Amino acid sequence: MSDRKNDKLKSPMDRRNFLRTCSSILAGGAALLSGGFLATKASGREGEVFWQIDSYRCTACGRCETDCVLSVSAVKCFHANRVCGYCDLCGGYYRPNVKELNTAAENMMCPTGAIRREFVEEPYFEYTIDEALCTGCGKCVKGCTSFGNGSLFLQIDQERCQQCNECAIARVCPSDAIERVSYDNAYKLKDHA
Amino acid sequence: MRKTLIILTGFVCSAKAFAVARFPKPDFTSGYEYPDIVHSVPSELFWNILDVVLLICMMGLVVWAAYRKRSRSVILSMSLVSVAYFGFFRSGCVCSVGSIQNVVMAAVDPGYSLPWYVLLLFLIPIVFALLFGRVFCSGVCPLGALQELINVRNFRLSRAVSATLSVIPWIYMAFTILYAATRSQFLICRLDPFIGIFRLGGDIGIMCFGIILLIMSLFVGRPFCQFLCPYGALLSVFSALSWKKLEITGKGCINCALCGVSCPVDAIRAPQLSRTKEDRSRGVKRIILFVILLPLLTFSGAVLLGSQSDALSLAHKDVYLYEQLLSQEANPQQEEPLEVETFHALGGDMEALKEKVDSIRDEYERYAYMAGALIGFVIGFKLLKLSLKRSRKTYEIDMARCTMCGKCFNYCPQNLKTSKLHTDEKTVS
Repeated sequence: MSDRKNDKLKSPMDRRNFLRTCSSILAGGAALLSGGFLATKASGREGEVFWQIDSYRCTACGRCETDCVLSVSAVKCFHANRVCGYCDLCGGYYRPNVKELNTAAENMMCPTGAIRREFVEEPYFEYTIDEALCTGCGKCVKGCTSFGNGSLFLQIDQERCQQCNECAIARVCPSDAIERVSYDNAYKLKDHA
Repeated sequence: MRKTLIILTGFVCSAKAFAVARFPKPDFTSGYEYPDIVHSVPSELFWNILDVVLLICMMGLVVWAAYRKRSRSVILSMSLVSVAYFGFFRSGCVCSVGSIQNVVMAAVDPGYSLPWYVLLLFLIPIVFALLFGRVFCSGVCPLGALQELINVRNFRLSRAVSATLSVIPWIYMAFTILYAATRSQFLICRLDPFIGIFRLGGDIGIMCFGIILLIMSLFVGRPFCQFLCPYGALLSVFSALSWKKLEITGKGCINCALCGVSCPVDAIRAPQLSRTKEDRSRGVKRIILFVILLPLLTFSGAVLLGSQSDALSLAHKDVYLYEQLLSQEANPQQEEPLEVETFHALGGDMEALKEKVDSIRDEYERYAYMAGALIGFVIGFKLLKLSLKRSRKTYEIDMARCTMCGKCFNYCPQNLKTSKLHTDEKTVS
């Protein structure tokens, strides 16, 4: 009886070790298999890790300004000069139905004064965006797309973007305009024409 | 020009919100040239390579410090490097913890291409866990390192409480997989408590949650790693089966119980020798009971969560929009939410949306069953594991729980003796 007991004292340990080794091999195999499977899904270069706005879907709802994880949004207004009509009465520069065309604050569309304009020649004005002042609210974009050529549009400034694993703006974008893009398509500009 | 614009404003309401060449390109006579504005894209390639290389090097160093040197100071300095580099400098994104979601998405969605370094971030810690245990948690994960660095006291939770709480990471994991597989949201990224601290700003609710966790981690060892982190739970499975086992001392345990007191995550199991052995048949019966309970719990978990799939699917944007549209239709005088407004403005097709929503709901049903089964299985398995009694002669490290902080090395008198001897020799010579 005591002999059997001694045997038993030894044997459960061996069984446990055997089970452990088996499950280790199983876990290793599973890790290897899933790793191999995932490797077939992996992309060569950086993959689609950049976030960008499709400006043709964007409705300039204003959430880009408020929902970015950065305190000043990474979304900025871009200006496509080759699309712009260089108008004097610019829908993105002045608020609708302004009485006088001057730079008084109540006339300006941009709340931070980020749109600068310069006289080119009669009757054309050149508009530029001061990105440091732009908050990405999209007010000018709305004005320009509904009154003008749509040369003002929102884009994610890739130098500011933190490239979150999930874009906080994309989660709330009502028109699903923000999508993952690759390095080569990191901007969706309008003035390639 | 001015006149045309003012006329235009009159019927602009009917105009579509897309870029239309309403005004012709101006013909400049003054020789004006279009400015060339270049928007640069920072290439992350260098940083991604550096991330992966640093990850491997730091984990190698931790392995060396834990297995060879038994030194906490190396592990602590790794924690500092990790918090500074992976945390504050790289602002914590993409991390291995969050990479679970990318991996799930890549497995489910053929259209998504998984970046190679995200795959590596996911796999390398698992490989290390299979070989040496949770090396990643130790001093390489910035989330764990941050808690480790500020931990001062360890108030011990009772085993029952910590066993119950340790189910939470798996529930978190199940929901993460559910939401990532249905492409609804990245739950881990959204609820990451420390990202706001690393970025010095962010969602106020999540920041508060992070700060509460940090205050807790002053008194309890790594509350996030122990009771929340889904990646830690995954690693603990591999770590429990690891090739090498960490030993507190190389000189043989003298059962002084000091290491058990030092462990912040309660990973050191005391010897069980003096206890009276229970009747074998009783033990076997209990194990049989829990083995039967395991599939039962799995099944009921699956049914329970599966039956809630419709409610869960509201987390998906399109399903939520659809519900909003329906409630708007039922009650037209209420104010239109922005989503509904945009849907109509873009000329959304209700039929197409309904089709999409139906397929999403089907997906949800399938994955909700799976997620529920996972939760049920984990609860059953934890019960089974709790019911097993192991005999131990010395203090041993539970590799599944151990986060390799290295505190016990300094507490063990066997380790101290050697280092004291060394210093004595040095002072003599």
